[in-house]
This record gives sequence, C-alpha cells and structure tokens, in this order.
Amino acid sequence: MSDKIICRCEEVLLSEIVEAMKTGAQTEKELKLKTRAGMGICQGRTCRPLLEQIISFYTNKKIPQASNLTFSIPVRPLSLSALAHTGKDYKNEN
Amino acid sequence: MRIKKHPILGKLEEKEINITFNGREFAALEGESIAAALLANHIRILSYTEKRQEPRGIYCGIGHCYECRVTVDGERSVRACITTVKDGMRIESQGESPK
Amino acid sequence: MKYDLVVIGAGPAGMSAAIKAASHGATVAIVDENPAAGGKLLGQLYKEPKTGWWIGREVAKSLEEKVKRLGIDYFPENEVWAIFPQWKVLLNHGEELHTDYILLATGAAEKAIPVPGWTIPGVMSIGAAQVLNNFHRVNPGKRIAIIGIDALSLTVANELKLSGAQVIGIYLPPPDDFLDRISNPQQMIAYLSSLADAAPNHFLKFAGKVTQNEFIQKVSAAFYPYRGMKIWGIPLFLRKSILEIEGDKQAEQIKIAKISRDGLPEMESVKTIQVDCVCISGGLYPLSELASAAGCEFAYINELGGHIPLHSQEMETTQTGIFVAGNITGIEGAKIAMAQGELAGTVVSDRLGLLKSGTAIIKKAQARVEKARENALIKFQPDIEKGRELAVQFWDERT
Repeated sequence: MSDKIICRCEEVLLSEIVEAMKTGAQTEKELKLKTRAGMGICQGRTCRPLLEQIISFYTNKKIPQASNLTFSIPVRPLSLSALAHTGKDYKNEN
Repeated sequence: MRIKKHPILGKLEEKEINITFNGREFAALEGESIAAALLANHIRILSYTEKRQEPRGIYCGIGHCYECRVTVDGERSVRACITTVKDGMRIESQGESPK
Repeated sequence: MKYDLVVIGAGPAGMSAAIKAASHGATVAIVDENPAAGGKLLGQLYKEPKTGWWIGREVAKSLEEKVKRLGIDYFPENEVWAIFPQWKVLLNHGEELHTDYILLATGAAEKAIPVPGWTIPGVMSIGAAQVLNNFHRVNPGKRIAIIGIDALSLTVANELKLSGAQVIGIYLPPPDDFLDRISNPQQMIAYLSSLADAAPNHFLKFAGKVTQNEFIQKVSAAFYPYRGMKIWGIPLFLRKSILEIEGDKQAEQIKIAKISRDGLPEMESVKTIQVDCVCISGGLYPLSELASAAGCEFAYINELGGHIPLHSQEMETTQTGIFVAGNITGIEGAKIAMAQGELAGTVVSDRLGLLKSGTAIIKKAQARVEKARENALIKFQPDIEKGRELAVQFWDERT
C-alpha cells in the first residue's frame, strides 16, 4: 500500500516512523527526536494519538497512563513580540 | 458553495463585504471566518509546506492543526479558520508553490 | 486582574460553569481562542425524537447572552499559553489573570485517520465540515466522500445532504495494522447495531436498524452487500474502504476497494470515483495539554477517548484549585458537558463561601450529571460507562 504522512506539520511518513522504530526508537520522545514527528507547529495535536497507537502496536505495549510526550509551555505557539509584550521573565517560575 | 437557503436554518442574510486574497478581490459575508469566505469563493489552497512544497488547506477547522495559516494585513501565520473577515482585509497564502 | 474563577474554553461546559458561579456572586473570566462562543455547539444540528431540532448555534447564543448579562469578563480570540502556580493564567495578548480557581473546559480534538493523500486541500476532518456547513453556511464540497463510520460521521452526512451537498458514500478507512478496530467490517456492524437502541435522531436510529436486521445478524459481515445500503439516500459501505485520495492541487478522486471478510482490500476490485471533498471521522480525544502543563496527573482510558486528567466527583484535578468539565473528562454529548460545567461552577462557588447549604446543592448538581447521562441519546464512545467507572476507580486508588 502507498506510504502516507503521519505528522502533517513536519511531513513525516509512516515508513520513516516504522524505520525509526526498527532502529531503536521505542517511545514518543525517542521518535520525536529521531523523526521530528509531533514537533511541528501544532505540537502533536493532530498526530499524537496516532503515534501512541503506532508505538503501542509495534512495541506490543499498552499506551502508558501518563503520556510520555509531556507538554511544556508555551502550550501554543507564541510570537516573540507577544512574549516581549508581557515585559516579564517567566523562565524561573515553573 | 454557499447555502443560501437552508430547510432548518432559514435564509442567509449577512451583509456582504470585500476582502482580497493574493491580490484578487472577493466577496465575503460579515461574521464568517477567512477560511469559510475563501472556500465560498472556491479557494482551497491556503499554504504550501516547507519540505515538499505541497498545497494545504482547511483541515481541523477549529484552530488546532495550524494548517490554514495565512498572512493577514501583513501579520504572518494567522489561522484562517478562527479569524473573522473584516471589510478590506488583505489575505495572502503562505509558503512557496512549486514552480 | 484578579478573579474568583477563570474558565478556559467557552463551549457548553465552560459557559455553563461560568454562568453558575457568576449567578452565585463569583467574579468570573472566560477565555477562548475562537471569535465565536460555543465550542462544539456551533456546528451541531440534528432532530431529537421528542424535542425537535437541536440547533447548537442557538444554544450557544443563549449561553453567551447569559454570560454577558451576568457581567462575566469574556476574552474571545485569546489563547492561554501557560498556567503558573497558584494560579496565574497567561494570555497571548499579554493579559495576566490571577485566581485561586481555574476550570479547564478545553474540550476535544479529532483523532486522525491517515490515508495516502489526506493532506491534499479538500480533505478535512468531519468536525471542520460540520462547522463550515452548519455554522458558516458553506458546503465543504459538492461531491463528498466520508471515511470512518461512527455516530458523528452518520449525523454529519445527513446534515450535509440536508443542505444540498451530495454525499457519495460513507466508507471504511484503509485497513491499517495499527488501527484495526475501525476498519474491520464485522466490528463496525456490531458497533452500528448498538447505536439503534440509543440513537440521538431518526437518522442514526435507522442506520442502527439496518444493521440489526435479522438477516445480517445471522449471516455476519461476510454477507453485507458490497454495494452498500442506502440510509436516507446516503450509501453506507460497510465492506468498502477508501485506499487513497488523489488530486494535484485539490482532492479530485478517491480509490476504493472491496474489503474481504478478514479485513484485507481486494486489489482487483479497485475503482476510482470523482469527488471534490473527503471528510475524515476518526473520533474525538480529550484535549488536555494545559492540564498536563499545569502538572495534573493522568490516566489513559480508551473508553473515554484517551488521556484524561484524574478528577474527583467534585471535578477537581490532582492540582488544588484546578477543575475540569466537558470533553476533557471524556467524550460525551453537549448536555452532559453543560451539567458537568454547572457542577464545577457550583463546587467553586461553595469553596468561595458563596453557598449556604453547599453540600446539598453539590449533591443535586452531581445527580443532574447522572441524569443527563441516563438521558443521553448519543454515545460517541462505546463502553462509556466502563470508562467512567475506571476514572472513578483510578481516582479512588490514588487517594
């Protein structure tokens, strides 16, 4: 069957994800670092459930209770000017 | 593409305004999203991807997928699906189309 | 700015909570990234067996009017990009909202079904098609194919047809080893039959009845006709799958194939059909990124749609002062979301000392959530009851 895109933002194909898993990636984080899947502007909002299912299928493990791909702030893309506009340094707060 | 008469929702009676997309003028209806206005004018391509220069359009329709990013009055990466049209709005597609 | 309660998400759950808390005297802010209030209500349109047409945009309008009448500070077109402890909600336009209580009512996002060609313009999620069609009043296409057979796709198919678009068929997704449940004909028929008893509208009820047909029950999926069955004029193909979407600049055609008894495409049966729009319906999952960033603990409950923040019977998460309501707690209908929102708004009002006999009022609000569940005509997730039990169990085990 034809190949297909899994991560729309970073244009990552299913074959690339399967290949990354064959060569060692076993978690969402490892897949993300290897293929950039889930690292684009939507921050995995579209492909994350797919990645979870693909990993679960190929590793034969249940989808973990806590999502392995943790969300970090900003949870939405933020322009630098919007950040500068707040006039504060939030780095040390969390 | 517009549903002017709907058996349950009735007639469409919004005021017409003008917008431009990539320099061409189009009619839009007050209160609708940029994505809806462009689709009503048969425009589906809103951007081109970086890696493969493939066309993209509306996908999720509620601001989650960021596929409908356009430039609006000079501001880049505005989501067409959750941004309301305004009279005189200048909209441009983003990314480069393959030559 | 300091508020008693900050609500994130102006859908049915969020607005109901804000209205409840404000009517008890709390100062409330509500934030949403969309310019229109209503969330998933905006696209909803279906006929209920007893009460007639449910027009989501009108329900949204009346909630929004109450929000305004009660003097709630409403921040449309604002995104929350961070929540910092105890508690500070940061908006992308620079506002900083301070509060002891936050309600996360961020709803759900759609699960994708990857199909070769699904990034071509004209291919969109079923939810996008619904909002374009029923809220913006623009048909997403003239000849539309739908991938994925579920309560939402059947309902939207009917809505599209009602407004004059041609739905050429509802098809199975391409067989995929990691997505097998939704592309297997036999399981699809079992799911559809289960809809017949609890269908939200005449259309779905009919879809269920067709598959409950004694003949089909007895002889199993293998004999469901390849040509499909028409449900109110819309062909439902339980044994055909869309293998690929093609088109240069926009969706132009789909490749479909018969699916054998064991769920594999029969390649000699492949046909090409012209379309200008393809809608993908893969179900919904709770959108919980803010809860995750705020440090809430999670559980994965497939029956509820995915990862949900653990929460008490009073809707509070593992982070003190952070509450949840609506689809973030599991995929259910708008009326349940509204009841959950009212419950959360009531509990927060009690914590603020605004209620006289708080315990009794909270009990009543909890009973209303249960009542809404009993009366729910539509079940987006099979086994939702089991999912709810698991959610309670996980919470109890933790405390």
